[in-house]
Amino acid sequence: MPNNNISLIEKILYSVEKPGRYVGGEHNQIVKDWEAVDVRWCLVFPDVYDIGQANLGLAILYQILNAEETILAERSFAPWVDMEVEMRRHQIPLFSLESKQNLKDFDILGITLPYESIYTNVLNILDLAGIPQLSSERTQGDPLILGGGQACYNPEPMADFFDAFAIGEGEEVSLEITHAYRDWKISGKSRNELLLDLAQIPGVYVPSIYDVTYNPDGTIAGVLPNQPDVPEKISKRIVASLPTHPSKFLVPNVEIVHDRMSVEIMRGCTRGCRFCHAGMVNRPVRQRSVEEILPVIENGLNATGFEEVSLLSLSSSDHTEILELTQKVHEIFHDRNLSFSLPSLRIESFSIDLMDELKELKPGGGFTLAPEAATERMRAVINKPLNDEDFYQTVSKIFENGWRSLKLYYMIGLPTETMEDVDAILQAGIKVQQIGRRIIGKSVKVHLGIASLIPKPHTPFQWLAVQRPETIQEKLDNLKAGTRKAGIKMSYNIPESTLLESWLSRGDRRLGAVIKRAWENGAKFDAWGERDNLQIWRNAFESQNLDPDYYAFRERSLNEVLPWDHIDIGVRKSFLKRDYEWSLQERTREDCRNTCFACGILDAFVDQRPPETICYWGCP
Amino acid sequence: MLLGVPMNNIPVRIRVRYSKVGNLRFIGHLDTQRLFERALRRSGLPLRYTQGFKKHIRLNLASALPLGFISTAELLDFWLGEPIEEQEIWQRLQSALPLEIRINDLKQVENVLPSLQASLLSSEYKITLPKLVTSEQFQQKLEQLLAQPGIPISRRDKTIDYKPLILGYSISTEESVVNLRLSSTPTGNARPDDLLQLLGIDPANCMIERVGLNF
Repeated sequence: MPNNNISLIEKILYSVEKPGRYVGGEHNQIVKDWEAVDVRWCLVFPDVYDIGQANLGLAILYQILNAEETILAERSFAPWVDMEVEMRRHQIPLFSLESKQNLKDFDILGITLPYESIYTNVLNILDLAGIPQLSSERTQGDPLILGGGQACYNPEPMADFFDAFAIGEGEEVSLEITHAYRDWKISGKSRNELLLDLAQIPGVYVPSIYDVTYNPDGTIAGVLPNQPDVPEKISKRIVASLPTHPSKFLVPNVEIVHDRMSVEIMRGCTRGCRFCHAGMVNRPVRQRSVEEILPVIENGLNATGFEEVSLLSLSSSDHTEILELTQKVHEIFHDRNLSFSLPSLRIESFSIDLMDELKELKPGGGFTLAPEAATERMRAVINKPLNDEDFYQTVSKIFENGWRSLKLYYMIGLPTETMEDVDAILQAGIKVQQIGRRIIGKSVKVHLGIASLIPKPHTPFQWLAVQRPETIQEKLDNLKAGTRKAGIKMSYNIPESTLLESWLSRGDRRLGAVIKRAWENGAKFDAWGERDNLQIWRNAFESQNLDPDYYAFRERSLNEVLPWDHIDIGVRKSFLKRDYEWSLQERTREDCRNTCFACGILDAFVDQRPPETICYWGCP
Repeated sequence: MLLGVPMNNIPVRIRVRYSKVGNLRFIGHLDTQRLFERALRRSGLPLRYTQGFKKHIRLNLASALPLGFISTAELLDFWLGEPIEEQEIWQRLQSALPLEIRINDLKQVENVLPSLQASLLSSEYKITLPKLVTSEQFQQKLEQLLAQPGIPISRRDKTIDYKPLILGYSISTEESVVNLRLSSTPTGNARPDDLLQLLGIDPANCMIERVGLNF
């Protein structure tokens, strides 16, 4: 296909900020012959290049799809505001980075939804690409608009805009979708028949063939298929063993966030923190062995030249071979002027041993811990149990081993929380500061990071009301006054800034019209603080006769049909319910790799479980 | 007693002349520096690093090439920990670089030479003018400008006089192509796009190429 875009694109690049975002051409980029393949994917991350390019999911799918001779996969991102103005002025449709083809000319747009605040960007991208935003308005020649990613475990708010969603892990299902698409393309059947074909693939949710009905009070009566022979519930997909890790990562030419090589050492988490969406939806735990990880690092470094490596997982200390891994990493890489990071360490002295292994390989001077709550009672409520004594012992050991700066993450707005629980955060900060001063002999840096709880779908907290901004503000003010006096640094989000996430994350299908209206009235890049879109959103809710408070501040009844109940993550709703009740009783569950609490994940996927020699699963 | 630095530990200084073209003209100076650091790491050459907590590859680019310009004349020094055949360095580095950066020359130079930035005097630019502007018109406009007592250009909070920084110009035999020689010292650095703007020519409609660095 001839490409008329290129010279015009090059011209407008002279008048935008950071033009390197739009040119592609990174080392390890894959450009295939457009005419020589059967199915053409564009992987779309609906945020700016600087934010999206580091995404590991994108790298994984880019590798998997391009590994097939008959498939090509290119990339596209949301253009920043200045670029959008130029594109609209010169009528340049949104294009891919690799071959600068119009998005409209691809077969499949795989759009990732990692978080809710980029929903309006999706609409903007479809508009910039000249593709009808509503699935119902798209016709035969339009690309298939396919969603995926962590926010899709509640696909309903975005259901109007997507033809299909891939629920769960995309490694295998993306190829199955491609093959079904290719068969359909050859068959010459209608677009509706494509959607019906796709709905037969496990893990694929085609929202237009499910109808939502409502009760008089506005709650959901049910979500049911309007076609025969499609499943009532859509079970998420998992990969039984973690597939070959990519190592030929794209090396960005312009500076991006997380500008380093990420290696996923483990997926899932067995700790069961009740606020944690990732911990519930990414079960079961699967890990890569040390023998598998080390060559990925070695080959990745040789292929990219990155100077920093991040060993990713939800809970690094829980990898069964983590000590051996850090020792080997130290042994092999210590003299290569690299740095390694190991995020998400548990609060125990073992974590310090791990960091000591990486000490001369680590990027900054600080240590980070996430107790999440400052009283033992509160930590029992959220199921992140930890004795105060163990906490302060770990803190002492951190300072004894030479760290002079400690960042502590806490949450507020938790269920049953009192002002004493909030004050305890400040008291903990002060005590840590004193311990540091005693051990180091001079003042240490203590930094408190405060987040407020946004209850997420598929977690034991999914029924909770969000605490109102006024209440959160009062708690923050208390902490702010105390930390200022004590000389402790504190960072936090303005309470209003989390409202949008509260509305959308547990939204239902009616929010589609709200999202569309908000976009029409100028909302985009909602995660960027400088663009204050909140009033636009409130007006958009009003225009649809919906109350945003209904979504944020309403406690759901335990018997209610939740908008995402037809999406099956493997963990049973009855388990989440019981866990929520336990939470209110301050009853904890230990690490479930020791004791199975029958959350349901093993029953859902027991047939797929491989022998331990192939892939370790965290389930007992 | 002071320990002598072993003979084999004397850094080997390598100077590269390279072209930067195509899409890479949209990659700025600091990004270009990082691009070279990563290409050098990929090359597997025995690199020298700077001292300090966070170690960087010892690397020195002659002059920042403004965003949007292409060049056939960029210069870069880096240092190796041991001597290697120039031909091998050339081949290993080139194969680690993106296609739009091409090595034109590579050789070992004396360690005692001053840094590239410190010794750079001026840059040569070749400018392909927009379709509607002829070389003669350009010349006329430039001469009118130079006839004035000073050519003030404001940059950030200060004003600089471009008149002494315009060191030479000529009209090429190629249609609509002119050549400029502009000062590129730390105290007096002139940009061709600033000058074009002053002449009422939109630099976005020109192709600006750096073709020489003078020391």
